[in-house]
Amino acid sequence: MVNDGSSSGAGDANGSEELGSEYNGNKRRIDRRRFLQAAGVGAAATGFAGCLGGGPSEQSEGIPSEVTVGVLAPAPENNPIGASIANSAELAASHLEDNDELLSGVDSVNVSIKNTEESPQTGRQRYRELTLDEGAHMTTGVFTSEVLLQLMDPISQQQTVHMTTGAATPEASKQVHEEYDKYKYHFRTGPVNGYHLGQNMVDFLGAKGSDLGWDSVALLVEDYEWTNPVQRAIDDHIGDLDVEVAMEQRYASGTENFGPIYDNVEQSGADAAFVAMAHTGTPAIVQWARDQRPFEFGGIHVLSQLPSYYEQTGGACGYTITQNTATPQSELTDKTLDYVEAFNDANDSYPVYTGYITYDAVMQWANVVTERETVNADEVVTGLEESSYTGTAGSLDYYGPDHEYAHDIMYNFSPDTRPEEGVNPVFQQWREGDGTGSQEVLHPSYVSSTDYEAPPWV
Amino acid sequence: MTILVQAAMISALYALIAIGFTLIFGVGGVLNLAHGATITMGAFSAYYAGQLGLGIPAAVLASVAIPALFAGALYLGMVKRLEDEPIMVMITTLVVSVVIEQAIMVFEGTTSRSLPRLIEGQFSIAGATFQNLLGVMFVVSWLIIGLLFLFVNYTKTGKGILAVSMSHKGASLVGIRSSRINLITWIIAGAFAGIAGLFLGSWLTASYAMGQAQLVLSFSIVVVGGIGSIRGSVVGAYLIGFLEIATTNLISASLQGLAPLAVLVVVLLVKPEGLFGREFAE
Repeated sequence: MVNDGSSSGAGDANGSEELGSEYNGNKRRIDRRRFLQAAGVGAAATGFAGCLGGGPSEQSEGIPSEVTVGVLAPAPENNPIGASIANSAELAASHLEDNDELLSGVDSVNVSIKNTEESPQTGRQRYRELTLDEGAHMTTGVFTSEVLLQLMDPISQQQTVHMTTGAATPEASKQVHEEYDKYKYHFRTGPVNGYHLGQNMVDFLGAKGSDLGWDSVALLVEDYEWTNPVQRAIDDHIGDLDVEVAMEQRYASGTENFGPIYDNVEQSGADAAFVAMAHTGTPAIVQWARDQRPFEFGGIHVLSQLPSYYEQTGGACGYTITQNTATPQSELTDKTLDYVEAFNDANDSYPVYTGYITYDAVMQWANVVTERETVNADEVVTGLEESSYTGTAGSLDYYGPDHEYAHDIMYNFSPDTRPEEGVNPVFQQWREGDGTGSQEVLHPSYVSSTDYEAPPWV
Repeated sequence: MTILVQAAMISALYALIAIGFTLIFGVGGVLNLAHGATITMGAFSAYYAGQLGLGIPAAVLASVAIPALFAGALYLGMVKRLEDEPIMVMITTLVVSVVIEQAIMVFEGTTSRSLPRLIEGQFSIAGATFQNLLGVMFVVSWLIIGLLFLFVNYTKTGKGILAVSMSHKGASLVGIRSSRINLITWIIAGAFAGIAGLFLGSWLTASYAMGQAQLVLSFSIVVVGGIGSIRGSVVGAYLIGFLEIATTNLISASLQGLAPLAVLVVVLLVKPEGLFGREFAE
């Protein structure tokens, strides 16, 4: 049975075991000792959580024999983004238990997974259950920016390291920068923050513009929190390129009929729709392809990052471009493909971007804990700030406290050489062959597998 | 001219969406708030048929048969017992609607799904290009409207529907079983909703919440046309369709979805009985 994270207290402790077996087939022991420790005060403490500071890790010294990783994921049972977070945390825990060097004195690494339901209120409650009831030594996950922003205060109150692996809002890092002592427990292991996502789109357009042939673009951005900094960054930087912005539209979050919007794009004469889409992505891409609109399509299209998306859309995503953290074919580091294969072996599917990042977050945290020989949150914060860890997505380095994006993963655009510090997101194009689709990489050149090809009807 | 063609296509779809809703109210005197969810069910029936590799004919059949059976079961299982309590029918069908949406969300998640492509290719008219799907949708819509007209006016069952819509008591006095007529009406309405879901999903993709907007649209159309009037629903669908296309093309694409609501408010204030009143009522 799959626990959807809706239960609490003792039920949650049991639920974590069931989830563990559900996601990777490895039966995990229930963290009963820690649960019993928490149970006496947990129920009462939950009610006062907003008032009291200090979580279980505040008193933690050394490394306990059982370590608990708390995971917050959106609908991990049926949302591929949430499932990748959950499954990758399980995979990392499994690898840590098998590893003789990392957390060598630890008997078991428990993973407790909670469903945020993409609701800020639910996310806040689940976070408290993880830290107060289950005594998580670190937490990770969180896909929705609105949820993350609601967690910043509980994270500061519980003083437990949280490594975000999906939400992109730079408002979180801004809080770390402005009130460092309070919010220093938050790190964003990925993706690059929302502003850098927008900057990355412009950087890509600048580097590959001649290959794409996009002299003018129509900027289409869905109206959600995460796209605000993306749009701001594009507006800030696209003027530096020799590319005309023929039209710019921030369309309503519930849009299903893209006909009128695409009519406007056609009328504007733009060569391509330059997009930032996540929630509304499928209607947009299916209608673009089936109507054979006479413009190209690319930018950040989160659903196109799913390895199974070609089948899901009946091939409609063919020829579209999207930014991505990594693809199953992109060997960004010597760990990328090993992780991809291990994930595929365990789950019979390939991960989406949140999977790479979550795996990296747990492994980097374990690395720092091993180095520092403690799970103490303040020590781990210092360790993460000083850490430069090669993960599956690149070199994991964080901006320092003085940076405006404090504790965000470092963004380092590099077309042709692997950056020594930070991550360099890939840009992929969906290509067709033998009746199936593949995510071919266009950028960066050191992992690229093909050159851009325009849709045949354009 | 392009705007006129676009509007004709989308209006045909809107007519399909609204007819089932108005049929149930006209005959049974109750509002079926699960109408939007039935449309969603039609779309997902076709989606699952596609996922199972059953082919397009099976997808079409599933999208018609499953919502029709569901609507029939909903009538027999719940609505029939509450027919004299319209408020209870509204609450019950609303709850059923929420259950269906939540079930689809649990199984399929919140992201939209692409349905099998019913018809390939495009056609050009008035200098603009359209999917063949939209052309077929237009033809099917009018075919259904025509067949419904013939059925209601020239068949025994159809005349029974007409009689029950005019007066339950009167119909009973001449030996018409209103519960049987209501059941047929619900099944027909479910089938129409399924066809609407099939075309809507094929055109725009399907999602668990796609029926919500269609329910609001149905309300607007039947209020504009006159609640219970099939002819009024067709006219209302075309009025709202043309207004929406004109608004989004000539003013701003961001005004999508606003036209039905604006028309609804205006009609309720100025002519609350709608353009054609309640055609089947005495």
